[in-house]
Amino acid sequence: MKHRAIARKVPRRARPDAEAVSILADDLPAPPDAAIAGDGIDAMVEDAHRRMARALRRFRRPAVRAGITESPLGRLLVAEGPRGLLAVAYLDTPGAAAPLEALRSGYDVIEDSAVAVRVREEIDRLLAGDSAPIDGHPVDLSLVAGDFQRRALAHLRRVPPGAVVTYQGLAEAIGAPSGQRAIGNSMASNPLPVYVPCHRVIRSDGAIGNYGGGVERKLSLLRAEGFEIGPDKRLPPQAVWGHRRSHIFCRPGCAAVRRASRPRWMIFADAEHACGAGMRPCKLCAPA
Amino acid sequence: MEPDGNFPLPPPFDEAVRRHEHELMRYLMRTTRDREDALDVFQEMWLRAYRAWPTLASAEGVRPWLYRIATNLCLNRSRDRMRRARVIAEDAPEFVSETSSINGSNEAVVHLRDAIAALPSKQREAFVMRKFGGLDYEEIAAALACSPESARAGVYQALKKLRAAAGG
Repeated sequence: MKHRAIARKVPRRARPDAEAVSILADDLPAPPDAAIAGDGIDAMVEDAHRRMARALRRFRRPAVRAGITESPLGRLLVAEGPRGLLAVAYLDTPGAAAPLEALRSGYDVIEDSAVAVRVREEIDRLLAGDSAPIDGHPVDLSLVAGDFQRRALAHLRRVPPGAVVTYQGLAEAIGAPSGQRAIGNSMASNPLPVYVPCHRVIRSDGAIGNYGGGVERKLSLLRAEGFEIGPDKRLPPQAVWGHRRSHIFCRPGCAAVRRASRPRWMIFADAEHACGAGMRPCKLCAPA
Repeated sequence: MEPDGNFPLPPPFDEAVRRHEHELMRYLMRTTRDREDALDVFQEMWLRAYRAWPTLASAEGVRPWLYRIATNLCLNRSRDRMRRARVIAEDAPEFVSETSSINGSNEAVVHLRDAIAALPSKQREAFVMRKFGGLDYEEIAAALACSPESARAGVYQALKKLRAAAGG
């Protein structure tokens, strides 16, 4: 108890030392501390690196490479992860910030122009009629919000250029016959436009419908892929209906089209595109 | 990325680590005065920064933002330590009186720290960043989301209170 009494007797305000006095003399930064030497700091940083690497490993986010490019479709943000392309975003649309936010919260985003340059070249080739580079580019649907949207988008990857499906047909194809509105929403929030071809989904009445990147972009893409769409923004009269299972294509009004199940139909720009996709003409309506 | 482009992101985390780790370690050593403490705070600071990285809007302000995290961690730590020391003082008087009587000048520094910890948080952060981090008022203002004038006023007020506390 004697010691305690001594400890209490030390006055709180006593003896400011020389260093404290100099620190309080002015508002300039305190001079460097001679006791803290440069090589000592280097060694500490080394030491800290080892400890940090261990701690960071537990919650490190995967890395993605991202860049911006001026494409014929406008200014695009592009991001690619180890498993494939994660995001393509039209930067002039109202929702352009969303994909970047989604990327940043789940990934370490590293700026890399090479990814964006490659995507621009692939889009150039698509618009020139060659879709092979885009079809062959692996995509990663991790940024897709839910299972329904993932199924819809995965299904769409199988619709070739020069063909489209309807919202209704796509809904039925993934087992949600009354889900055409949900399909519309899924297309609008597609994180990978062009690469997951949500521009190849149109309305059942033949109008091309809306597009997340604006109708004009949907028009240029569909036109580049072979659809001769006029100012009425509807499918051209030469469009034909091809059946996935039977590999037969028909005129829109053919009895076979009305009979066969809707989810299996794709609409081709014309007979030539249908033949190109390995289909043969219907003997009833003779579309070619 | 176009050469002139304005990619709307702060630099990658690892680049920021490389760029700022030495000065921050020096700063932490300066404020904690203890190798183990500095290493602990250093690690915690970077882990926090890593977690919060997605919320950073741009490259500007990364440095002051890191200083702010470091400063808060140090100040919290010294506050916790004081609280602990008080508990120890009551439970084990021998130990405390022995150490405090060995080194009187340390005690003065402890008092200064004590007084710093008692400052209002904004003045406290501004003062420590200015004095031990050597940040200019623009940077302190960025870290505290205030104007440079207000940062300067904070340091000034802190100095006034600390001088009074030191009895000078």
